Amino acid sequence: MGRKDPLQRTGDGFQLSLPAEDRRVIVDLVAQLRDAVVEGAGDERFRRLFPAAYHADPEHDAEYHRLMHEELLASRLDSLNRAHELLGRDIHSTTLAMTGEDIDSLMKVVNDLRLVLGTLLDVREDEPVVTEDDPAFPQFHLYSYLGWLLEWIIRVRMGD
Amino acid sequence: MRTVPEVIGEESTDVDRPWVVIVWNDPINLMSYVTFVLQKVFGYDKEKATKLMLDVHHKGRAVVSSGTRERCEFDVYRLHEHGLWATMQREDA
Repeated sequence: MGRKDPLQRTGDGFQLSLPAEDRRVIVDLVAQLRDAVVEGAGDERFRRLFPAAYHADPEHDAEYHRLMHEELLASRLDSLNRAHELLGRDIHSTTLAMTGEDIDSLMKVVNDLRLVLGTLLDVREDEPVVTEDDPAFPQFHLYSYLGWLLEWIIRVRMGD
Repeated sequence: MRTVPEVIGEESTDVDRPWVVIVWNDPINLMSYVTFVLQKVFGYDKEKATKLMLDVHHKGRAVVSSGTRERCEFDVYRLHEHGLWATMQREDA
């Protein structure tokens, strides 16, 4: 996957520059996450997407989730659908014009992908060191790639 | 018609103690991302957001906002929307 600067500010927005293959991988991941969340948002894999609000008070927490879960799910799906549509647009092009709102949706989605992947890989505090002969190397490589992309998005979005 | 309060007991006896929203350290969220979200959700300047993020990172948690239960539930919701590990509770006595 490419390591060229993936995002630049333009006069009236942003330009995402990713190799088409990278974009295809992300579009596929976004679709997989969207479909999996629709099928089972309560799945343990998604615990970081729908965490407890009252960690020491199960009664209040159940009430909170009864009231807020559907809204949170709808918000997540809205960002996932938006990112899927954006990244899938003109898939053979290496550049893509985006607005600030597009970038914010993409940022949330890239972070959601990292949260789910990091949960599955049981990522701990230190950056994992995984060698190429590890069966989980492709997943850790992907996790690292998404972190790199997210850092860029934040840096450009914050105007650093 | 007399209005009956929906919540009695805890709310009326603990009314002076506000609720607080806590962000917890986690190994997945990037430090820069946590800083960005605190700025975006609460309108904090970069210095304050960075200080709170560093408290989360080094102390394991930080109180990022406080207020009524409804206000804190809204803040928690916004933080969850952005993937932060946030919870709420009564402020420590």
